[in-house]
Amino acid sequence: MTFRGRNGTVAKATMWSAGLMLAGTLSAQAQDVVIWGGFPELADFYERVAEGMSDEYPDLNVIVEPIGLRDHEKRVALGLSSGLDDATVLELIGSTANRYIVNDLLPPAPDDIAEFVNDAGNFEPFFRDTATVDGTVYGVPLFRGQGALFYNTDMLAEAGLDGPPTTMEEYDDYAAKLTQRDADGNPTVSGWSLRLSGGGGGIAEKFWINMHQFGGALLEPVGDKYRAAYANEAGLAALRQYVNAVSGDKTVTIDMPADAAAFQRGQTAMFIRESWVIGDTEKKAPELNYDTALLPRGSIALPVNLYVSGGSDAAQDAAWAFAIEANKPEHLIWLLDNVGWLPNRAGVDYSGVIEAKPQFSAFVDLPEDYDLFTLPSIEPINEILTRFAAVLTEAFADPSLAGDDAAMMALLESAEEETNAILDRAGILAE
Amino acid sequence: MLKRKRFLFAVMAIIPTFAIFGWVRMYPIVETLRLSVFQWNLLSRDKTFVGLSNFIELFGDDQFLDALTNTAIIAFGAMAVTIPVSMALAGVIYHRTRSRFAGFYETAVFIPHVVSLVPAAMAWKWIFDAKLGPLNAVIVALGGEAQAWLFDPVLSVVCIILLVSWQTLGYAVLIYLVGFRNLPKSVYEAAKLDGANGIQSFFFMSVPLLKPITLYVSVVTLISGFNVYAQAYVLASDTQGAPGRLVRVLVLDMLENSFQNFRVGYAAAEAVILLSIVLVLTAVQFGMLRQKGGK
Repeated sequence: MTFRGRNGTVAKATMWSAGLMLAGTLSAQAQDVVIWGGFPELADFYERVAEGMSDEYPDLNVIVEPIGLRDHEKRVALGLSSGLDDATVLELIGSTANRYIVNDLLPPAPDDIAEFVNDAGNFEPFFRDTATVDGTVYGVPLFRGQGALFYNTDMLAEAGLDGPPTTMEEYDDYAAKLTQRDADGNPTVSGWSLRLSGGGGGIAEKFWINMHQFGGALLEPVGDKYRAAYANEAGLAALRQYVNAVSGDKTVTIDMPADAAAFQRGQTAMFIRESWVIGDTEKKAPELNYDTALLPRGSIALPVNLYVSGGSDAAQDAAWAFAIEANKPEHLIWLLDNVGWLPNRAGVDYSGVIEAKPQFSAFVDLPEDYDLFTLPSIEPINEILTRFAAVLTEAFADPSLAGDDAAMMALLESAEEETNAILDRAGILAE
Repeated sequence: MLKRKRFLFAVMAIIPTFAIFGWVRMYPIVETLRLSVFQWNLLSRDKTFVGLSNFIELFGDDQFLDALTNTAIIAFGAMAVTIPVSMALAGVIYHRTRSRFAGFYETAVFIPHVVSLVPAAMAWKWIFDAKLGPLNAVIVALGGEAQAWLFDPVLSVVCIILLVSWQTLGYAVLIYLVGFRNLPKSVYEAAKLDGANGIQSFFFMSVPLLKPITLYVSVVTLISGFNVYAQAYVLASDTQGAPGRLVRVLVLDMLENSFQNFRVGYAAAEAVILLSIVLVLTAVQFGMLRQKGGK
C-alpha cells in the first residue's frame, strides 16, 4: 500500500510537473505588453486599442497602467534607467523623450514603423519631427495638448458680452465684467481663472501661453542654444496682467477654485486649457453651456508620442503594433469624441465629431497665421519651468507688486539670471 | 575546538543577516555619499567628479534653503505639538484604564497612525479647503474670518504640522501609556498622602519620571518630521481644482531634483545634509537620554 502510494505520489508529482511545464510553455507563448501613460483619462482608449488587436494577436496581454503625469515622468526616469523587463509602450511628450534618446535608453523604431511615421499622408512634418532625432524615428505620434479659451456662454450673455475676447486687453475687460462678487466685494465667481498655485512647472507653462499672446517666449533659440527671454515688455505685460487680476482688479483670488473643475461647477467664467476639457465636461457637466475660442495670437502644442522599450523582440514587435493600432482612424475618432485629446494623424475625417461638438473647432480650424509653439527639447526644461514657477507663485501672491512695473521687471530679471545659469550649467546657453 | 566550532557557527548564522542589512541599508547610504560628489543625470553612463561643488551650490540655492527651513519648522513644530498632547492624552487614558471604553480610547487615538497617508491627507485637504471646508465653516459660525489655509505661506506650513502631528500622535500615546503603566505606584501613593492632587502629580511626578519616554518620542517624531513628504505633496496637488500652495520640503526637493531635473548628484548632496541633520539631532537627544540615565 505504502509503496503503491509512494508510486502514486511520484506519478501525481510527475503529472503536476508536466502540467506546470505545459502551463509555463503556454504562458511563454502569451505576450505581455505594458502601457505606461501619464493621462489617466486615456485608460479606456488604450483598452479599446488592445481589444482591436485581439484578432491578430490572440495571446497578447495588454496591461494598461496610467498614472498622473508628474508621477509618470518619475516612473519613466526610473524604469528606463534601470531597465524594463516587459515590452512597454511609453507615452511621452517629445521634448521629454529626447533626453532618453540621446542617452541611448530608447531604441529606434523598426523600419516599417519609421516608414509609417515618415509617410507625409499620415503626419505633418511638425508631428513627425517631434518623434524624430537626427533623422531617425523613435516614436509614433499620437495626440497633442493645445490650448484654447473656454468660456461660459450664459455668463457672457448675462454680462452683456457678445462673443469671446479677442485681444489680451479684452481679456482683462471681460474678466472684470464677468466676476461675480458678494456684498463685501469679494469675488465668488472668477472672471478668468488663472493657474496661480500648485507644484511643478505648469504655472510657468501657462504663463508662457499668456506671454505668447504678447509676442514673447520664455526661452529664445539661438542656433542650437537657448537663452531666457522673459525680462522684457512681453514678460512684464504677462506678469502685470496676472498681478493686476489678483491684487488690482481682484477678478480672481489665489484660493478660489480653479481650472476645469471650477469651470464645470460655474465657479469661473473663462479659462485657457486643452481640448480634453470638452470630453471631461461632457461627463461631469453635460448641461453646461459653453464654447471655445482661439487665443489672440496662438497656442502651445505639446505633441505626445508612443515609444517602446524593454521585453523580447517578439514582445517589442507587438508593442510597436499597438502604437500603429492606436493610430487607426476608428480609434482616433473615438479618442477625440470620448476623451477630447486632439489626434495628430492627418487624413482622418473628424468632421462628424466636430459637427456634433462645435467646441472642437477652436482647436482644429486654425487660421494660417495662428502661431503654435512647443517646449524645446532640452534636458533642463523641467528644471527651468519648475524654478520659474516657484518665482511666479510668490509674485502672484505679492500685492506690493501691483502697479509697480519696476519691481516686477526686477523680479523677472532675477529669475532670468537663474534660468540662464541653468542653461549655462547644461552647456546650452546662447551668448 | 568546540568553542571555535560554536564561534564559526555563530558567525555563519549571522552572516546572512549582516549581508542583507549591508545590501539593503548600508550600500544605499554609502552610494548616496559617493554620488553627492558627482554630477550625474541618471541616464548617462558618465559621472563627473565635482568634489564639494554640489554642497556649495546647495547653500546658495533659494529653493533648497526654503525646503530646509520649512522642513525644520515642520519637524520641530510637529514635535512641539505631539509631545504635550500625546502625554496629556496618555495621562487621561491611563487615568480611565478601568473604564469599559478604555480600549476604544486607545484605538481611536491610534487609528490615524495606521490610516494610509494619502487618503488621510485628501480628507484633511477638504477640511482645510478655504471655500468648502468645515474648518472655515466653524470659524465663520463662531464669528471669525475664513482663512486661506492651504494658500497662505504661514498657514500652509501650519496645516502640514497639524497633519503630521495627527498621524504621529497615536504612536506617541501608546508609548506614553507603556511609560505610565511602568511608573512606581508607591510614589504616587506617597504624594497623595502628602496632599498632592491629580494635576500636581501629573506635572511634578509624571512629567519628570517620563523623561526617558519623552526623549524617545521626540527622536521618533523629529526623524519622521524631517522625512515629511506625502503630506506636503498631497495638500498642494490638484491639477484641475484648487491646487494649494506648494510647501517645499527636503524630500520633495530631492525627488524633484532626481527624477524631474535629473540632477542625481545634487539630490544626493541634499540627502547627505538631511542624513547629517537627523544623525546630529539623534545623537544630541540620545546624549541627553544617557545623561539622565547616568544621573
